[in-house]
Parts: sequence; structure tokens; C-alpha cells
Amino acid sequence: MKCKKCGGKAVINMRQNNMGLCKDDFLKWLPEQTLKIIEKYKMFTPKEKILVAVSGGKDSLALWDILQILGYQADGLYIALGIDEGINYSAESQRLTEKFANDHDLKLHVVNIESDYGTDLPMLASNTKRGRDKPCSSCGLIKRHEMNRIARDFGYDVLATGHNLDDEAATLFSNTLQWNGDYLYRQGPVLPEKDGLARKVKPLFRFYEREMAAYTFLRGIDYIYDECPFAEGSTSTEYKEILNQLENQHPGAKLHFFVKFLSAKKKGLFAEPTREIVPELHICPSCGQPTSARDFCTFCRMMGKGSDR
Amino acid sequence: MKNTTTLILRNQKYEVKAGMTLLSALKKLEILPESVICVREGELLTEDNMLKDGETIKLVSVISGG
Repeated sequence: MKCKKCGGKAVINMRQNNMGLCKDDFLKWLPEQTLKIIEKYKMFTPKEKILVAVSGGKDSLALWDILQILGYQADGLYIALGIDEGINYSAESQRLTEKFANDHDLKLHVVNIESDYGTDLPMLASNTKRGRDKPCSSCGLIKRHEMNRIARDFGYDVLATGHNLDDEAATLFSNTLQWNGDYLYRQGPVLPEKDGLARKVKPLFRFYEREMAAYTFLRGIDYIYDECPFAEGSTSTEYKEILNQLENQHPGAKLHFFVKFLSAKKKGLFAEPTREIVPELHICPSCGQPTSARDFCTFCRMMGKGSDR
Repeated sequence: MKNTTTLILRNQKYEVKAGMTLLSALKKLEILPESVICVREGELLTEDNMLKDGETIKLVSVISGG
């Protein structure tokens, strides 16, 4: 297969775009497209301070790499959750993230849940009502809380995550199967700043997971290849596989599914939830972050405030 | 076995006949092309590449969960 730009040997075939590209053109094309997405969706400007949530996985490291190539002021945030499960998962993820930051002379914030809160994800997964049998739920809660805390405490304008198109399509698939109107209304590449919650953006949302894997490979970025042990067999992985089967039969199906959803949303297909569905936000007396709960927020309750344990 | 190509995915080895395309090999092994990238001697390959006798192709899973 030939590169559509230069006629050289292609290293990747993007069937949904009917385009193959060689290494050099692909490594040029992907950051250029990211810049277009950032500008089109008004995610942030070159003057704004960006906090990139970095997990040590391919997508978040690729995002950090692309943002620094594009010249944005992007610092990283790694959240150490204490997942070991016999493969040193968190320790290895942290090592790879720190290596990337050192190699590229980038600033990295590291939050260690055990040192800061005296517990870790495996303990929360077994000891709390929220975590029991569903560690991914606790993980998501911790990440959202800590990302927002660091963004607020260090004056970042925006939080960027490495969600790719497969992540977004799988989430959309899940929300659609459950007709989760509230989540469908909120899902998108930009979540505006609101009531003490930092703006969140997903600059990679138009790229297939496969393209991000190719990018990190071609850029020589070391990332954690093992799947999170807690995420093995997760519903999101299952949905991704189903969508890939569809994609295999109908190239572009994943992209159309998500992009057409965004168009439909823009045209007003999904209504803003009413006040009865979305309760007013209050300030958590413990951490100062917004919460819909009457007293402590869900994160603080999980960490031992109140009666969640 | 002679005239074969080895494909490796997450430490699992698969042997296929050389001379077919990478895409045909993936189909035969029931591996969705969308779920992997394919590497030969450190180089990324498109699925139309022909598999040669004795070579090894590393398949890198692209799906991350959680």
C-alpha cells in the first residue's frame, strides 16, 4: 500500500478515511489534525495552562507528546492508585510516565493516594460499599476528584485527557443501550467549566485507538502495555470489541456513530436535564469541591468521612 | 513446519502458511485487524503485506480498558 501524500510505502491504512500514510507523513498528519480539532472545538488557546491526565498508557502519553510538539503549555498529572496484582501495575505506569516527563523535560505532578489518604484502590475496592466488586467505579471517582483538585490548586485553565474515538464510541454505546439521557446530554469532546469544576477536553476523540497505538509505536514512546488488572473483562472492553466487529464489516462505522451523535446533539436532539434530575451543587465541607450530596462529597465519604464504609 | 510465518499476540504464538497476506492471516486466526497493529523487525506493516517463510510478526493489541 502506498502513502496517499508522498507515494512511499504506507505503514498504516486508515480505512475510515480511505487513506494510507507512510511513517513521516503519519507522524506529521496526526498532530496537525489534533491542532485542527483543538481549534475547531475551542478546547484551549496557546496562552492557557493545560493539565494532562497521564496514566502511563499509550493515549495519554501520546496526547502529552503531541501537545508539546504543538507548543502548548502542558504539564502532566499522574495519580498513583496502588494497583499491583502481581504485575506492579501502578509502579510500572508511574515509572514510564516519569521517564517520559524526564526525557522531554516536562513538569509532572504525582498524587499518591496511599500517602495522601492512607488507603489505595485495592483496599477501597474491598472495603467500601462503592468499591465492592466494582473497582473501576472507585478509580473513576478518585481520578475525577484529584484531577479537579490539582487543576484548581495549581491554577490550570483546562484538563485534557487522552480519550480516543474507541473510548468515546464505547461510552456512547453504553449510554445508548441504557438510554441514559443525562450522560448522553453531557458526553462530548468539551465539558465547559462549571460550578468549580474545571473545563475538560478530549483532543484525541477523532482518532481510532489503533492510530494512537501506531503513533506511540512510531514515536518510540514506552507505555504500559498490560491492561489494568481491574479492567480485564470490563464492559467497556467488550463494547469496544463489538464495535470493532462492526467496523470490520463497515469501515467508518465507529467514527460515524460518534460524529453523527455530536451533530444530532448540536441540533438539539437531547434536552438539558431538568432541575429535578440534576440537583443543585453544594460545597463539600471536607475538600471544598462541588457535590450534589447534602454533606460530604462521594469521594470524601469513600475516603472515610461519613458512613460510606 | 516448513514454509510458515509466526505471529505472536500477547505471548501466544500462531503459525500460518507463508505466502498469504497479513489480512488473510488475521482473518484465519479470527483476529480483528482493527484490534491490533502489526510489526515486523521493528517496522509497522499494513495488512496487504505478504507473509514470508520463516519470519515473525508481532501483533500489538491496541485495546485498553477501564
